Amino acid sequence: MTAVIAIAAPWLAAILLIARRRRSPRIVGFMGSLVSAAASALLLLAAPAGESLRESLMTLYSCLTMASTLMLPKRDCDAPTVAGVLFMLGATLAAYSTDNLAVFLAGWILTMAPFLVKRWFRVPSWRPVAALSLSSFALALAIGVMWASGHSLSIEALKDRNPGGSAAFALLIAAVILRKGICPAQAWIADLAEGGSGIPTALLLNGHFGALLVARLILPLFPDTANNLFPMLCWFAMATALYVAIRALTENSPRRLLSFLALSQSAAILAGLESRNPEGIAGALAHWFVVTVSTAGLFGILRLLEVRFGENLTASRHFGLAAHAPRLAVSFCIFGLALVGLPGTLSFCSQDLLIHGTLTSHPVAGVVLPIATAMNAVSIFRLFARLFLGKRRTGFTHMADALPRERWTLAAGLLFVVFGGLFPNVIVGQRLAEADAIAAHLFRSVQSYHKM
Amino acid sequence: MNLSQALLVFVVMAPGAVFLALASLWLLGWVPSERVLSRITGLTFAASLLGLAAVLWALATTHASAVTATFGNWFAVHEYRFPLVLVADRLSLPFLAMTVALSGLIGKFSATYLHRESGFFRFYALLHLFAFGSLLAFAAGSFDLLIAGWELVGITSVLLIAFFDRRPAPVENGVRVFGVYRACDIGLLVGVFALHKWAGGGSFAAGMPQLAAAQATVVCLFLLLAAAGKAAQVPFSGWLPRAMEGPTPSSAIFYGAISIHAGAYLLLRAQPLLAEAPLASVAVIATGLATAIYGTMAGRASADVKTSLAFASLTQVGVIFVEIGFGWRSVAIAHVLGHSVVRTLQFLRAPSMLHDYRRMRSAIGGELSRERAEDLLPDRVRLWLYRWALDRGHLDTILDRWFIQPLYEISRLFTRLDGIGTARRPSDSAISLPGHAEGEVE
Repeated sequence: MTAVIAIAAPWLAAILLIARRRRSPRIVGFMGSLVSAAASALLLLAAPAGESLRESLMTLYSCLTMASTLMLPKRDCDAPTVAGVLFMLGATLAAYSTDNLAVFLAGWILTMAPFLVKRWFRVPSWRPVAALSLSSFALALAIGVMWASGHSLSIEALKDRNPGGSAAFALLIAAVILRKGICPAQAWIADLAEGGSGIPTALLLNGHFGALLVARLILPLFPDTANNLFPMLCWFAMATALYVAIRALTENSPRRLLSFLALSQSAAILAGLESRNPEGIAGALAHWFVVTVSTAGLFGILRLLEVRFGENLTASRHFGLAAHAPRLAVSFCIFGLALVGLPGTLSFCSQDLLIHGTLTSHPVAGVVLPIATAMNAVSIFRLFARLFLGKRRTGFTHMADALPRERWTLAAGLLFVVFGGLFPNVIVGQRLAEADAIAAHLFRSVQSYHKM
Repeated sequence: MNLSQALLVFVVMAPGAVFLALASLWLLGWVPSERVLSRITGLTFAASLLGLAAVLWALATTHASAVTATFGNWFAVHEYRFPLVLVADRLSLPFLAMTVALSGLIGKFSATYLHRESGFFRFYALLHLFAFGSLLAFAAGSFDLLIAGWELVGITSVLLIAFFDRRPAPVENGVRVFGVYRACDIGLLVGVFALHKWAGGGSFAAGMPQLAAAQATVVCLFLLLAAAGKAAQVPFSGWLPRAMEGPTPSSAIFYGAISIHAGAYLLLRAQPLLAEAPLASVAVIATGLATAIYGTMAGRASADVKTSLAFASLTQVGVIFVEIGFGWRSVAIAHVLGHSVVRTLQFLRAPSMLHDYRRMRSAIGGELSRERAEDLLPDRVRLWLYRWALDRGHLDTILDRWFIQPLYEISRLFTRLDGIGTARRPSDSAISLPGHAEGEVE
């Protein structure tokens, strides 16, 4: 029942907004996501210890949506946008919480629906539409094959049965590659980030449906196949992390650059999930949280800057915006460095585990991750330096720094990454049992892993 | 926890707590006055110095070899643990004392030097964060914790290089230095991973883990990469003159005293491993020797005082690396301490150099001797060396041509690949080189 409230509340709020346009969309959006966050938090409290991954993700995503409704600049905060954000929240929570493959597929498709409907969120080119549609098609086919083979749509009932064999497995991997933007399907993410609506795009990317598919379906349902073929996905993920990190080095469009960094770091999550040891998997799960919060913060701040200073911001020259918006500058710096492992933030711990785990399972190829992270650090610092430091541009009238609602929202995100970094065991410890479970699926039991 | 352990924790944590407090107050909209800031800084480092003196006294009276404060694990996943252990032993104590004393001194000096500077608050906040990072790195009882302090030192260093943020050159130089730091830190990450893999952990609080010679060589070579990056050793020396863009007090404490010696500390800490790895020791000696020669040559062709001092600093750190490579641990520690104090003084006096020079000239009653060793060389060789030194050994050019430019070429190729199938031209998004903002390079 609580899960139904968590899913239904944002959808009801979205319907309310569409039905009665122009009536305080921010308040309706905030209330809808608040109810959802409260219900998800109740689920999290009630979840058995060590089996709370989906409840944690539900709470995280609903809090993220709540923060997004507060961060949306006035220009973007109209009824259709807020309704779209709420619609995505409901669909994402449905996919996170369900045990039924059909509901999972519905959630998967509905999260991207606002981007496929022409007059909702802008989609600038054909590539995002193609990638999202093809990923849905691949997932639908995979679920069809699994249903034909296993005669059930229950994830629990299909566990460890390799339903649909290699064909279903290959289709699921294709869905992951397309949805997650793994090489060679990485270009659509940057296209969408650059031309689409800023904050809703960040929400779509932060659903991390590719990683979800790996953690919820591929590993539990196909342990044997995954054990043999999964390293290929890991190599693809590491190649993606490196490819987009190199690509980001000369990118000057702030939105594209941020999308590359987010993609590189989320590819690292996939590599960690495949690392086959509890350290790497626990690191990947913790990193999932950091990447979600940090990239949402970065995209949010960038959108606030665009609204204040124009949409022609570029990393090819200095703007000196720190003089106008020092709090936004500091928040951007901390979120950016938190994304790439600044000590004192949660990502320092998550990346420590993730890199350790990946290097353990792939001693040579695993070196790619620290190299990609180092490049990402340079790119994010370059972007920070170009946007916020250097000679001030003339022509800007005096603009407000972060408004109180923006300031407190950003402060909440910063507190999460900083306190998560000071007390990482709170998050890493919670993810440990799930990491063990995933490792056990790959190796049948964690003990057999430790005997190796 | 006994008194010595509590004091050790206080010494390390105090600047970090002050930084957190200052940052929180700033976020809430309150910026303390210059006087309040300098007093808080003075009190913090004075109290830390007293605390450290008490730790030293306790060690001397109890004849213990170290004070160790253990807080369990920061986080743990089965056998993989990140131990929170602070150690004050014969190696870390001198470095801790140097950090606390010089940070306090720089705090005092900067109150006047940066008076009414717009970044006054930022400088002090970063000074505390830097001191915390350094103390954490020097007091860490494991390589894992050392990485945390090491990274904090790096990021504060870069933010202070870009202190005068209204000019593009310091900002771009900050980005460049950050790139070198991060590239070399890969060595530290991989080296510590290798230590975990072969020795089962990165803790050295109860003694350095034992490794076979080949394993020790691999670990030490990775640590050397990190140390060379942080200490601006050849071939990474090109960032040091760029770092002189920061305010003089921060140049003094970073590149005259603490940050520049962090690499030497890392190698001193890893010396039991170095002793097992003759090949790595030779690499350390070769790196130090090459840097010492490079530093003295480039320093002689430098036109400004801060850059000259930076190269002089580099020369001494190169010699310290040689001492570490030969295993002369006590000599190296004494050299680090002496060099830090003298170089800090020189950096802080740099703005008054002409005044000092005139005073010295009147004291000795004439010019200083102009005879130099290079006068003995033939003119053609001198000219060639001068050109070489003037371009700082072409190190930046070599790094640019062989590493950075090819990387950018690959990046541009990827940009073109990504552009296939869309109307978007690569020039829409790219391409001005990082480190060179359009039309703004000074």
